[in-house]
Parts: sequence; C-alpha cells; structure tokens
Amino acid sequence: MVDSDNKQIHDVIMIGAGPAALAAAIYTTREDIDTLLFERGVVGGLAAITDMVDNYPGFPDGIEGLTLAENLRKQAERFGANIELGEVTKIADEGKLKKLETTSGDMYAKAVLIATGSDYKKIGVPGEQEYYAHGVHYCATCDGAFYRDKRLVVVGGGNSAFQEAMFLTRFASHIDLLVRSTAKASDVLQHDMQKFVDSGKVTIHLGTTTDEIVGEENHVTKVIGTQDGKQIEFPTDGVFVFVGLKPNTQFLEGSSIELDEIGFIKTNVHLETSMKGVFAAGDVRSGATMQIASAAGEGATAALIIREYLEGKLAPQSETLEEVAPAPVV
Amino acid sequence: MVKNITIFTTNTCAYCAMVKKFLDMKNHQYDVVNLDEQPERQAEALALSGALTVPITVVTKHDDTKQVVVGYNLAKLAPAVA
Repeated sequence: MVDSDNKQIHDVIMIGAGPAALAAAIYTTREDIDTLLFERGVVGGLAAITDMVDNYPGFPDGIEGLTLAENLRKQAERFGANIELGEVTKIADEGKLKKLETTSGDMYAKAVLIATGSDYKKIGVPGEQEYYAHGVHYCATCDGAFYRDKRLVVVGGGNSAFQEAMFLTRFASHIDLLVRSTAKASDVLQHDMQKFVDSGKVTIHLGTTTDEIVGEENHVTKVIGTQDGKQIEFPTDGVFVFVGLKPNTQFLEGSSIELDEIGFIKTNVHLETSMKGVFAAGDVRSGATMQIASAAGEGATAALIIREYLEGKLAPQSETLEEVAPAPVV
Repeated sequence: MVKNITIFTTNTCAYCAMVKKFLDMKNHQYDVVNLDEQPERQAEALALSGALTVPITVVTKHDDTKQVVVGYNLAKLAPAVA
C-alpha cells in the first residue's frame, strides 16, 4: 500500500528470512496479511548452511539444511511472501507505523517481526582475521571442498562443531577437534562422532585452548594451542571455527528496543519487544533455545500474535520484559 | 556492460544459491562451475579470487575486463553486474 505521502506501507515487515520468519510468513500470508521479508544474508539463515538437520520433526531420516531452507522459502512464497534481498539498518517508532531504513529506501509497517537470528562467533586470536578465507572458515558446507585429503583443525565443542567436523571428514584426511573445556555436543552427536575417533579420522583434544593461527604466504600452516599448561602445535591446512553464536542485533544499537546483557532481544509473553508493535522470534530472542524447530514454532506463534495486534485485539503489553520462553497461544 | 558471468560453487553452499537467486532476479544468465563435480578447477578459482571459499563470481565485461566477487556480497555483486 502507498499512502498519500507516498509512503510504502506493509502490514508486516519481517527482518530476516530464517526458519522463524519464514514460518511466520507462511501463517501471515495464508491470511492475506501483506508481508515483506528483508534478508541480508542467506534465506534460511544458519539452518541453510548446516550440513544435516536430524532433529526437525517430520523428517525421520533427517534433512539437509539447505533443502529444509529451500522448502520453507518455497512454502512461504507459495502463499505470497515477498523476500527482498537487502538490509534493514534502523527502526524508528512513529506510533501506529514503524519506519524502517533499508538498503532499498525507507519502508513503513504496521507491525515488525525481528527474526535476524545469530551468527557464529569468532575466537578472537591472532591470525584469525588475517587468514580469513585463506585457511580460516566459518562455513563447512561452503568451503570444506577445498580441503580434500588435507589436514584440518576444527575449533569448538558444541553441536555445530561436532556436526560440521563430521561433515568435513568426507574431505579431510584428518581432523584435530580442539575443545576448550568439555564436549557440550548432544549425546547423539558425540555417539556419532565416536566412529570417526575410532577410525583415527578425528582426534578430540579436550581442555585445549586455541591461542594462535599461524601461516605463511597466504595460507595456514598450524594452530598453536595450550593443554594442561603446555603449548601444543597442530599442523594443519585449514581451520573451521564453531565456538557459539552471537545475536544479529547490531542494527538495533541506539534504538529503544531493549536487549539483554549479551545482545539478545528481550520480549514479553506476547513476544513483543519494548517497542510496541515490534515483535521478536527465533534465535535472536532472549531465552531462545537455538533450535530450528523452536524458531519455526516461535515464528508461527509470533504470526498469530501479530494478527491479533493488527486487529487491535492484543492485550496491553506487560511492563516487564521476560527472558524466558513465551506462553503458548491457543 | 556484462558480457558473461561465471559462478564457482559447491553442492552444499547456501551462499552460492543466494548469488544465483540474485542474478536470476536481475535476469542475468550465468555459467556454473561446480567444484564438487570439477575439483580440478579449484586452482583456477583460487587463482581468480585468492581465496579458498565459494561462491566466487567472475563478471566479464564487454571490454574483457574481469571483476571477481568473493562470497555473497550484495554491496559488491550488485554494482559488478549493473
């Protein structure tokens, strides 16, 4: 809709096009709520760059992350969701309308859903920045193929590190998995990993910090770590880093949308942020469980709440923003 | 003016799919070099980009100058194919 001041006004603008926003868009567009999504990165978010998703309900044999993301996108677009490739840089509260400054110009919406998800953290050690894309990587499904029959180091001890290290075994001759403390990956993933450990393809180094990435002439040659107070060198051709997630909320700095101490968005039980009419769902929300299934569920919940909001039926928001999962909407 | 576009990809690269989606939206034709199917062309990709990553998009202009865009970077890809 274009108003008399030539403003482009949408019922809902969703920032991000990962599982939370795509699930929300399926619900809103099926009810003919005019919905625009902005995605600055990959449609499908981190799910799209995950090798295999084994715990999303409905796929007994698992599903490739990229396929799941594509299916979600197609489903949302089938009902009329419009995905724009671009970035939202600022949100301003103009009362009944929210003004979004974007790389495609200013946009206005009656309601906004922030579902920008999270990205992998960096370790912050010498050499990491210098050798990025020259031996240091954050996407195994993108860059693993460059390491056929080469040695690799994978840094991290959570689900992503274990999952992506196992993916990389299809290319690498050997993988040293450096885990700062203890393995935090699920029991299932640790069990799956054991066969690669038993075959000698993967060596897990618990209690091992990653201190420096060393290279020469534009390629990585080794990682220096510390275990039990002793310095250890791991000769390698490349390093893949999966050491946790950081929320994509940098664009909210200076806005009135309240964040927790880490930078995740605080919401009330209606998934509403401290800015009326602006909601958050998925990994970016404080208290999120960082699961694709949870993100999709929150997206669906947010869509139903936004419908209530647009119809003027949503109860006034609580004064207190929560950092816990929302109550279900019937 | 763009003469031709080549994208170096792999089967599992989501960012490669985004480059294709963007070029499709802009009605550009392009060739795809799938490095999973043609690993012998990895050295070519590395020589063009200087980086061990995909997607690598090589835009050749009508005067045969080349512009190489590493990764899914709309800020660089959009002007390169404009």
